[in-house]
Amino acid sequence: MPASASRKTGLEQLSDDLAAAVERAAQTVVAVNGRPRIAASGVLWRAGVVVTAHHTLRREEDLTVTLADNRTVPATVAGRDGATDLAVLKLDAPGSAEFADGAVKVGHLVLQVGRTGSAGHSASLGLVGAIVGPWRTWRGGEIESLIQLDLAIHDGFSGSPLIDTSGKVVGLNTSGLGRGVALALALPVPVVNRVVDGLLAKGRIARGYLGVGLQAVEVPAALAAKFAPPARSGLIALTVDADGPAGRAGLQLGDVIVTVAGQPVADVRDLFALLGPERVGATVVLTGLRGGAPLELKVTVGERPTQ
Amino acid sequence: MIPITTELAGIAARVRAATVQVQGRRRGTWGSGVLWRPGVVVTNAHVVTGRSARVETADGTVHDARLLATDEGQDLALLAVSTELPPPALARDEPRVGALVVAVGNPLGLSGAVTAGIVHGRLTPRRGPPIILADLQLLPGNSGGPLADVLGRVVGVNTMMVRGLAAAIPCEVVERFVERAA
Repeated sequence: MPASASRKTGLEQLSDDLAAAVERAAQTVVAVNGRPRIAASGVLWRAGVVVTAHHTLRREEDLTVTLADNRTVPATVAGRDGATDLAVLKLDAPGSAEFADGAVKVGHLVLQVGRTGSAGHSASLGLVGAIVGPWRTWRGGEIESLIQLDLAIHDGFSGSPLIDTSGKVVGLNTSGLGRGVALALALPVPVVNRVVDGLLAKGRIARGYLGVGLQAVEVPAALAAKFAPPARSGLIALTVDADGPAGRAGLQLGDVIVTVAGQPVADVRDLFALLGPERVGATVVLTGLRGGAPLELKVTVGERPTQ
Repeated sequence: MIPITTELAGIAARVRAATVQVQGRRRGTWGSGVLWRPGVVVTNAHVVTGRSARVETADGTVHDARLLATDEGQDLALLAVSTELPPPALARDEPRVGALVVAVGNPLGLSGAVTAGIVHGRLTPRRGPPIILADLQLLPGNSGGPLADVLGRVVGVNTMMVRGLAAAIPCEVVERFVERAA
């Protein structure tokens, strides 16, 4: 009982719509040849600008991009930000992606469209599982909102666009924000735009840096009272870069940081929140404990290295 | 308009009617097959291990099926089954990337289980025929079963999982094998 072209069944219409959405979006999906073996995906985000996932770029020399028409053109890195796992490339190529007007909602059908070489594009279907945020990435990036997907993760799809069922881009897919956990995540378009603007302007997103490896610890009750308000927990220094900002200010291994710039830091995330771009170059006061005795240090905040 | 879920159930029923369960002569080798022409079943070569196999058609009849031909390289086998059941329609064109597809088979011995997903892409190996990759989960026992489009037309024969994707031998490759063998 094949339906005639004029009267399609609902399922046939949906299937055709999905395939058409994929074909439409695929026009601006590229393969980024920046690592051995499988290429990563990228999106022609604006005219002459490709956005891809930072973690997939293993080299900056000899970068090429394979376009939808199978031409391979050279590309240069305009900027990259490990904290949000985004990289921006410049190249000579026509076209740019179409973006959806509204935001996606939990439960919406979405597709990933990837290109991992010269063998054409490929696609995955799933749905928006959750929209979370604001969220701080494990590398200290502040993300206003993040799309969590109910969708299978495939090789080479980091840097690919997340599209709606009309083929318009709603986000950028990356597996680089899950810290090794296989979570299908996508950065919404406004988040990507903000980072792309910053990277095109300056080549990087500056973030504050102390040069210490920290872990949250409980502060014993007897010592907690030394702080106002009393500090239940702080951050113990497990590694200290002697030449880093905190190391130069005299921070030592085993010191416990309890406040930074007057704000309590009970968790590493609290500290990240205090080390935004505006802190770079500023001097902040760290208070804490060394061997049970109060500690106070003045640290000039450095800039987090890109890697 | 018929609700999409009802439609999907109808397509699943049509594809299931053309799906068979294949048991090789060696213990523990079993999989699926698809009625390709009247009295002729296609399955994977790795499912059939002897000169014959036990085939259970969708109407519950058990047949002693004779092996007509096998191609280990393409992982295809052809069995003769005396059944009156009609074969399904075959898709003429290769499905588009993003199109909805359903796989029917007997994973873990479950008869006629259905999984749905989309066409992910096409893989063209250096040697051997092209492969359709579908974004859906195949389990042991799905081997040899049909991959079909939303009109219930067979687009390929499911073979294995490749990097988290279902790999199916396209219809035209199967058709060429059947032409040669039949």
